[in-house]
Amino acid sequence: MEANAKRLSLKKERAPKKKMTKEKRVRYFKDNSPYLLMVLPAVLVVFLFNYLPIYGVLIAFQDFMPGDKILSDSTIWVGFQNFERFFSDPQFWPLMKNTFLICIIGFVIGFPLPIIVSLMLNAMKGKKTAKVLQTIFNGPHFISLVVLVGMLTLFFGRYGLVNNIAAHFGGERYSYFLESSAFRPMYILSSNWQDFGWSAIIYIAALSNVDPQQHEAAILDGATRFQRVMHVDLPAIMPMVSVMLIMSIGGLMGVGYEKALLMQTDGNLAVSELISTYVYKRGLTGVPDQAYATAIGLFNSIINVVLLIIANTTSKKFSENSLW
Amino acid sequence: MSEVVMKGLKKVYDNKVTAVHDVNLEIKDKEFIVLVGPSGCGKSTTLRMVAGLEEISDGELYIDGKLVNDVAPKDRDIAMVFQNYALYPHKTVYDNLAFALKLRKEPKDVIDKKVREVAEILDITQYLKRKPKALSGGQRQRVAIGRAMVRDPKVFLMDEPLSNLDAKLRNQMRAEIIKLRSRINTTFMYVTHDQTEAMTLGDRIVIMKDGYVNQIGTPQEVFNKPVNLFVAGFIGMPVMNFFDNCKLLLEDGKYYAEIRGVKFLLGDFQQKALKQINAKSCDIVAGIRPQHVTVGEGELSAKIEVSEMMGSEYNIHARTDKDEVVMLIPTVDLTTDVSMGKTINFTTRPHLIQLFDRETGNNIIWYDAESAANNAPVCKRYDF
Ligand SMILES: Nc1ncnc2c1ncn2[C@@H]1O[C@H](COP(=O)(O)OP(=O)(O)O)[C@@H](O)[C@H]1O
Ligand SMILES: [Mg+2]
Repeated sequence: MEANAKRLSLKKERAPKKKMTKEKRVRYFKDNSPYLLMVLPAVLVVFLFNYLPIYGVLIAFQDFMPGDKILSDSTIWVGFQNFERFFSDPQFWPLMKNTFLICIIGFVIGFPLPIIVSLMLNAMKGKKTAKVLQTIFNGPHFISLVVLVGMLTLFFGRYGLVNNIAAHFGGERYSYFLESSAFRPMYILSSNWQDFGWSAIIYIAALSNVDPQQHEAAILDGATRFQRVMHVDLPAIMPMVSVMLIMSIGGLMGVGYEKALLMQTDGNLAVSELISTYVYKRGLTGVPDQAYATAIGLFNSIINVVLLIIANTTSKKFSENSLW
Repeated sequence: MSEVVMKGLKKVYDNKVTAVHDVNLEIKDKEFIVLVGPSGCGKSTTLRMVAGLEEISDGELYIDGKLVNDVAPKDRDIAMVFQNYALYPHKTVYDNLAFALKLRKEPKDVIDKKVREVAEILDITQYLKRKPKALSGGQRQRVAIGRAMVRDPKVFLMDEPLSNLDAKLRNQMRAEIIKLRSRINTTFMYVTHDQTEAMTLGDRIVIMKDGYVNQIGTPQEVFNKPVNLFVAGFIGMPVMNFFDNCKLLLEDGKYYAEIRGVKFLLGDFQQKALKQINAKSCDIVAGIRPQHVTVGEGELSAKIEVSEMMGSEYNIHARTDKDEVVMLIPTVDLTTDVSMGKTINFTTRPHLIQLFDRETGNNIIWYDAESAANNAPVCKRYDF
């Protein structure tokens, strides 16, 4: 016992300290200089365009007028006043609700869709047909938002395709863009339509790494096609699914303003006003209130970071997959 | 009862590559048959057609007397062990073993009993809760074999199951497969490119080349009675020595082999066999196995280029005027100096010389035209 304890303590003492000495650091940089040099441009770009602007969030805590310098002697610090203003804004709850609903419904439909599509394409017998289909599915991703919303108007506008057909059969013309109830379905389904093929690529790539002998083994074990998908394919892409899940949850409330703004009409404003469109309007149009807009944006970002951390921690706890 | 009968089995890939031509083979119940041949000769394709993983382009396949060309793999009552094990990586060893039974909706207690029984036989009980990732190559191989065993298949198919293991483990697993075979007593079809594996495991060996079967026979037959140059060269380690441009001579009713100007009076059996097939004098390739060379005396001479002491025997590479000759000489028999650079005399026992027709490459004594014409070549039978 004693000897054991002694040995253990000895071991502890001998445990190497993980601290870089100066020479070691110099050598590290020398040894890796070509690689460090190679990542330097990327680091610079990210710093310049992603980190430097963070400095701008300071104005969320200021009484800031357009044209003011962010830091000067005349800067008026107001603490969390801008945030408090937002929380008591009558728009606060509608904005939160609209943003949350658009995102969560889009996520619930949009997240499994590419997984199902990739599994189906992968299980198809005709590999050529699968390739052609995949290419077709990728197409919509390259349509710009403006064109996409243009298409939506062509289809669902008062004098669009759907209404023309309805009118032809004696139905009434219906202004989908003026109806609050039509906004979310149009917005979400068109987004999913646009991106399911593109999002499937990453799963299709993961599936192509599955050893065909595993499928053959499963065939001999008597697995049906569906059982093979469940027992061979799905487990193979599960790590990818968790990573994508964490990332999507992290970006859950981060919906952009462009598409909502393009689809926005006075008729659907009650549901189409999102945090991002509101930030855009308050910060850049009318009498700009940049400090207020920045505060709202920052609040939105904090929600996302919190979601990301929660998702990652949960995933780490329940599976072997996590981002960090 | 579980025989496998192949009649004119053929595989054409993508309407272009003919991987297997017309294989005719009758595997008896409980027989261990080994398909062997160089890489790309169509062994795996043949096996996969039996498994049902490849469509049969032409011919008929019977398992247990039933035509199974269009029967789904799972209904053929076969099991297969793959080269890279093909275990389900996310399932535990237990679930890997149980999977097929679960799919068959066997009751839980039956599955459990079966899995534990097999695990016991293969000595993997302590790993049942692990994932394949946490196993060594040999252990994974056992699990792969176990996965096939739990199903009690009529036919056990194995495609190069040992080639991912290192040499030592391979020998060990080979011995285990022999043991296993005596325990589970079913029909085996085993694919390998390694002739040692084929010789040690097979009841009969099927030697393939370029999609054709070259010879079907017991290990003794393919070693002692190779029907052509390819079989003679493929079976046996080290490779048989071939002396090109030799002669078979018929003089005064006696047959001689003339090798590099030296005349060997052939053995009794050869005399009778050659007489029966009415052989004439002709040009031949003479084959002598390295094990059948004796050094010290004899009219043939060669200069030693490499001499390796292997313990119980010497492995000698020597060169005559035209040929490179490999000799395997038991150390105890050695009376001559066989160091490098020395010139030695050597000879062989004439009845061990193999005689190959120089034009066709077929063994003059052992090639059987009739079975070869049916694409099921065996060595010729003599009734003396
Ligand atoms: N899926 C395939 N498509 C086309 N040709 C194939 C395919 N599989 C095997 N082949 C060809 O068939 C021949 C035999 O292959 P295989 O049976 O795998 O040989 P072995 O197992 O004896 O090494 C080879 O020439 C190989 O290139
Ligand atoms: Mg093969």
